[in-house]
Amino acid sequence: MKKISRRDFMGYSMKAGAATMFTGILAPTATSFFGYGGIAEAATRKIKPFTFAVLTDAHLYDIKNHKFDGFLEKAVDDINKLKPRPDMVLYAGDIGQSGKEAELLKGKKILDKLKMPYKVIPGEHDYYLDMGKAWRGLFGDEHWSFDHNGAHIIGMNSILVPDFWSMAGLTPKERMGRMEELECHRCGLWGVGDKQLEWLKKDVKNLSADTPVVIMTHSPLWNYYPRWNFQTHDAPEILAILSKFEKVVAIHGHVHQVVYNKMGNTVSAGLLSTSWPWPYPPVDLPYPDIRMNRVDPGDFEDGLGGHTLDVTAGFDGTMNYRAFSDLLPANVKRGIKL
Amino acid sequence: MKNTKTILPVTATGLSVFVLAAILAMVAGSAIAKPPRTEQQMAQETAAYLQSVAKGDALWHDGSLGTNGLACGNCHPDGSASNPHTWPKYQTNLGKVGTLREMINWCITVPMQGKPLAYDSEDMIAMESYATYTHRGVAIAPGKDEQHGAVPVYGGPGYPAP
Ligand code: HEC
Ligand SMILES: [Fe+2]
Ligand SMILES: [Fe+2]
Repeated sequence: MKKISRRDFMGYSMKAGAATMFTGILAPTATSFFGYGGIAEAATRKIKPFTFAVLTDAHLYDIKNHKFDGFLEKAVDDINKLKPRPDMVLYAGDIGQSGKEAELLKGKKILDKLKMPYKVIPGEHDYYLDMGKAWRGLFGDEHWSFDHNGAHIIGMNSILVPDFWSMAGLTPKERMGRMEELECHRCGLWGVGDKQLEWLKKDVKNLSADTPVVIMTHSPLWNYYPRWNFQTHDAPEILAILSKFEKVVAIHGHVHQVVYNKMGNTVSAGLLSTSWPWPYPPVDLPYPDIRMNRVDPGDFEDGLGGHTLDVTAGFDGTMNYRAFSDLLPANVKRGIKL
Repeated sequence: MKNTKTILPVTATGLSVFVLAAILAMVAGSAIAKPPRTEQQMAQETAAYLQSVAKGDALWHDGSLGTNGLACGNCHPDGSASNPHTWPKYQTNLGKVGTLREMINWCITVPMQGKPLAYDSEDMIAMESYATYTHRGVAIAPGKDEQHGAVPVYGGPGYPAP
């Protein structure tokens, strides 16, 4: 069915550019990230290495046999077939599109086919029809943490906005409709809010500084493009609470693209969706080499995928993007050091 | 910066050039010369144009052009990656040199499984108005295979300036 893909035809400038651009400058190493000449690495407690998988942004519709159902199923199959099997799967939000229970239920049924335990956080598309009621009924707490092989793993709800609907007299459906638009003009900036900040403080209080910490939020913990809520307004507070740790790995959904940043002790990586990819917003990327190619709109799977994260004994993470199509420049394909 | 959705940049120079051209045409006694328009007329024309942009904005986001729930805005927020400044150009999915309107119809019929718009319909013109408005000021680059993230929008309630 697929004739000559657009990318084959155009020879995609990104790819050609990447080949020349990246010779010699491979993905930065953990040491160069932290600039501590390996001190950070040495100071982090040795843990039992493990691998976990990450999926996000399925945006399921309450429509029978919708194409996005198959993409989430494909990602779940892909993770299930991995050998060795990842210890767990983290899901970074936006299971549904319009916050309907039927969408979330459809997503849960597909995710339940995972052969390992999984943990979920909400995205804005899961939430603003009933303020997370159906979501909590199916998936439980909006924020959580647990320990695994010596690492501490945190999930938080980063999509809470101040009430813009009561004064405007919006119905729940209208409220959801506004939040569904990425460039919602009246929704405002979102974040985790004071309650979750208090919770986070308590959660990490008794952890020693050498504990490897992984934190997952729906949106990035840095100011990428606020217009599209590619941000978390109280990220500075989160990062301050986590600043006592030698190293934090932050992963986030919502951006539907490969993107990377580092903030002090924290390295941050964005995730591919299983619905549609997003173009890069009109701002400079902090690490322009770590990106994905342009997408062929004739190939519905292009731009989508899942992920595995390998964590070594010294807490050197490697993010492996498992793109469905030939999406990644060589340096990203090799895995991004976190 | 303000939420640019609400304003149309009719520049002073653009205006005076127009007035000058109109006067020159009259002096030359051209049969097609129009008398200079009043400010009120021009405001009405601007309003008509902005209405087309607003209609395009609505169609771009409400999903009514497709049948699978998707809207252009799902994949092209703020009109990004529609690259209106690059058309006409060779587009592989069209398999030829095509126009922005042909590509709009391609995206309606392929990813959104909808019915194509008539090329001269009000809706199609509105779609084009919105796509180009979100790229106002971007240099035209016909034939260029480039992805553009649309004009950055910082303003609007809750959105900080850079
Ligand atoms: C499911 C996602 C999706 C939807 C929905 C969608 N598009 Fe696209 N469209 C894409 C992708 C991906 C591209 C390729 C972007 C690129 O060139 O980098 C594209 C390309 C385009 C282009 C050509 C860009 C170029 O320079 O080649 C135009 C114009 C366009 N879309 C308009 C629209 C319009 C108008 C709609 C709504 C009627 C729409 N699209 C709906 C995914 C989508
Ligand atoms: Fe999403
Ligand atoms: Fe999201």
